[in-house]
Parts: sequence; C-alpha cells; structure tokens
Amino acid sequence: MKLKQILIPTRTANPGMTVREVFTECGRANLPALPFCTRSGRIAGRVTLKNILKISCLPEYMIESARILGEEMSCMEDIESKARQLLDTPVDPYVQEPALSLSSEAPAIKALAMMEQNDTSYLFVVDEGQYQGAVTMQSLAKLFSSFG
Amino acid sequence: MSSILFVATYAVIVSEKVNRAIVSLLGAGLMIMLGVLNQETAISGIDFNTLGLLIGMMVIVAITKRSGVFQFVAVWSAKKVKASPWGILLMLSLVTAVFSALLDNVTTVLLIAPVTLLICHELDITPYPFLFAEIFSSNIGGTATLIGDPPNIMIGSAVGLTFNDFLFNLAPVVPVILLVTLGIIYVAWGRKLQATDAARSHIMQFREGDAITDTSLLKQSLFVLFLVICGFVMARPLHLEPATVAMFGAALLLLMSNFRNNAEKQSENVHQIFGKVEWVTIFFFVGLFIAVKGIEEAGLLEILADQALNLTGGDMTLTAMTILWVSAIASALVDNIPFVATMIPLIKSMAPTFGGTENLFPLWWSLALGACLGGNGSLVGASANLIVAGFAERSGHRIRFLPFMAAAFPLMILSIIISSAYIYLRYL
Repeated sequence: MKLKQILIPTRTANPGMTVREVFTECGRANLPALPFCTRSGRIAGRVTLKNILKISCLPEYMIESARILGEEMSCMEDIESKARQLLDTPVDPYVQEPALSLSSEAPAIKALAMMEQNDTSYLFVVDEGQYQGAVTMQSLAKLFSSFG
Repeated sequence: MSSILFVATYAVIVSEKVNRAIVSLLGAGLMIMLGVLNQETAISGIDFNTLGLLIGMMVIVAITKRSGVFQFVAVWSAKKVKASPWGILLMLSLVTAVFSALLDNVTTVLLIAPVTLLICHELDITPYPFLFAEIFSSNIGGTATLIGDPPNIMIGSAVGLTFNDFLFNLAPVVPVILLVTLGIIYVAWGRKLQATDAARSHIMQFREGDAITDTSLLKQSLFVLFLVICGFVMARPLHLEPATVAMFGAALLLLMSNFRNNAEKQSENVHQIFGKVEWVTIFFFVGLFIAVKGIEEAGLLEILADQALNLTGGDMTLTAMTILWVSAIASALVDNIPFVATMIPLIKSMAPTFGGTENLFPLWWSLALGACLGGNGSLVGASANLIVAGFAERSGHRIRFLPFMAAAFPLMILSIIISSAYIYLRYL
C-alpha cells in the first residue's frame, strides 16, 4: 500500500498567514501541524499547534505543575485571554525545522516505521519538492482496519 | 608543566566558554599523555567514594521525584498557612532547606521553583522574594549534611568524615543562619507581601493529592530514603562507606520500582533512570580529580600550603578564618567544586604544622561552610541559583545579576560572620 492512497490533502501555512487560519486548517484536517512554505512553494519548515500554544500561552511553570492545578485559577483565565489575542497574529515566528517527509510512492509501512523511529504521529508527503499532503497515525490505523 | 596545565584548565573552567566536563577531561588527559602522571597514579587520584555517593543519590532522587512527593509537600505546606504570602514564603523556604539537606539542591529547586511561580501568579505578587529566599534556603540547607552539597561530599570522602560528623558539626549553625536570613528577607520584603482573599482562595483550590502520581512508588521511595539515611548515620559502626550505602539504596529502589515489570519494561525504566544521572558533573569530577592529583604529585600544593601558612604564621585561628572567608568569596564568584578539590590536598598538607590530621577539623568545617554558603553570594555561585534564575526568566520575571548580588552578597557575608563566630567559639 502506497502513501498516495491514504494521504490527507491540506493547505500549507505561508508567510503572513494568521494563527487562526492555521488552527482552522489543522482542526479541519485533524492534523497537529502544517508545512510552512515560502512564496516559491518550497517547504521551509512547519508550524505545530503544540509549539504555538507552548511558546505563546503556556508558561513552563504551569507545565511543570500541571497535575496540581485547580478548577478556577487566574492563570487559566490568562491563558485563554492570551490564546484569543494570539489568533490574529502572523504564524511566521512559530516556524520550526521541517518535519519528516516521504514521497507519495513510499510504502505505508515505511511511514509507520519512520514515525516510530522519530517518536512522531505524522509526516508530510512531498514529491519533487512539492507538498502533496500529510499522513498521520490515524490514517494508517484507518488503512490497517480496512484489511480483510 | 603540571602547574601550567592545571592553571590553564582552571582558567578555561572559570571562563565557562567550554563545557566544564570537556575541559577537565582534556586537562586530565594531557597530564597523563605528557607524562606528568602515569595511568595508575591518575586513577588513584579519582575519589570513587565521591562519585559513587553522587551517582547513588542521583538515581534515588530521579526515582523519588517521579512520585510527585516534592510538589505535594510544597502545595500542602502552602495550604497549611492558609495561603498567606509570608507564610508561604516561610514554608517553601523551610521545605527547600530540608529537601536540600537530604537530597540535592538542584533537584529541590527544579521542583519547588515552578510551584512557587504558579502560587505567586495566583496571588498576583512578585515571585522575586520567594525565589531569593529559596536560593538561600537551598544553599544553607545543603550545608547541613554530608550529602547536601557536593563540597561536603568531597570533603567527607577525602577526610573520612561521616554523615554524623557533618550533622554534629555543621547542622547546629544552619538553623541560626537560616532564621537570620529569613528574618532579613521578612524585613526587606516579607512584611509588605499582601494578597486578596480571592487570590488566596485560588491557592486553597490546588489539588496537592493529584501531585502524587504513584502511591506505591512514593512508599518505596520514602522507605529506601529512610533506609539510606539510617545507613549514613550507622556507616561508621557498620564499616561502610557512604557511597556503598547510596549505591545499595539506588539498586534496591530500582529493584522495588521494577519488581512487577517484565524484562523489557525493566530495561526501559533502568535506561531512563540512568539517563537522569548528571554524567556531565560526574565526568567533570573525574577529570578534576586527576588534574588535582597532577599538581599534588608535582608538589605545587605543598608549596602553596607553606605560603599560606607563612601568611597566617601557622596560627590555627587565622588559618581557619582565612580558609572560611577565601572559600566563601571564591565560591560566590566561581564554581566551588574545583576550588574545594584543590583545597582538600592543600589543607591535608598543613597537618604537620598543626600537629597531625586530627587537629585539622576546624579547617575542614571552615572550608565546608565557606564553600557551601559562599554559593549564595551571586547568581553564578551555585547551580541551584542558575536553575531558579532560568525558571524566573522564562516566565517573564528576570533576576538580574547585579541587583541580585547587591542584596545577596551582603547577606552571604552575614552568614559567614555567623559561621566565623561559630567556628571560633566551638573549635578555636
């Protein structure tokens, strides 16, 4: 089974795109990240929901103390308010190094092995430098569940 | 040659331009390759008791902290004082001091500082006085025991001082220094700390019970920690080195915490726990011990000791006070580990002047007090200080080097004045 049969086509994140647009597309495609492409269409990195939220909203001390948080705390209200402000800002400062990628002709099992090796749950499918879509652990599960 | 190599190694370590483990291992390697030391002498310079004690305690702490006990105690203590800001500062300082005495300072502040920042955020007050007090409590608490701070581990191991020796000789002055320090922090900041009832009610909503991730791991960790402390106390009658006790405790806790796991899970857990050992520190020690052995073999330390004794006229009081004050000021500005590693053989070589090794005790306690308490003098004085400063900066509360030093250095000097009085009245 080849990746082109299970890939999820998505938009890419581009310079100037807002965090809201990235969140909307990630939510629609059920993906934790999008590739970040330059104006020429080349993949220059990726933007992940986790990184955007961690850098902008979630202080390290809250992550360290996550288990003890109560129900009504001012730190949580602050985070919600920061997240709201964040939505209309450009996504550019949150670009990270590119994610793993494979060609659409690669076998699905190779994608699974590479995700395991790199402790990730998604990878991008790229043919001759052009982004085609993404493959996630869920899309692989869907594929395997269809086996007779 | 050995002197040039040692001074160069020391200078690069102090400059902090290259990782200290790399520098010390390079210095040690060059000492052997250039023929200053042969292989056997170099190995004989490594204090395996210090290394074993450090590694054993690091493993025990790495497993214990997984249980969430540190956060539980921090939040529990904050709620016990009904979330009053000064009460919380006091309780967190005491918790930090006790944990630092029994475990290691870095782990203690790594776990207490995030809870502190969260509490201060909820109370809507500046975390600076809290973090300042925790830095001091960590270094002061660590002074009290053999295992509290690496300089004490090194001194204890090199001289054969037991856990009880440290407890009887250093622990009595520690509460005095801690109380005086907290008193001054109260006058400077504590009395002005205020929080609204609504903010305090947020603290009372913290769920300290949720901090405990694994009750059976918690029981196992506390049981082994208790056994290890008993082992340290009984080490001399049992003819055991502290490293043996710590390593046995680490192995026992590894066994208990993996008892029900299959071989694969055990292997994964053990691999993960050993990954938590600070190997950079361990290899830094290895290189440093060899480098110090090089200058010891070359006779440089004896020359330095003679010069120091000439300056003090061979007077015990003057020598002890010089060691205390020089150690404190040096430890405030540079890493205290290489300083103490150099001072140990230097003090040992003073034995003939003072009528034998049994008369050197005031000097050892002066070195321990100076090196441990001196760490409070600046942000770079101890690893725990840098950890707290890092957390503060990443949460938008930068602790600046000079303003911190302006408050910390005089307070550190006060702790050394108290220590001087203690050493003088008790030993001289």
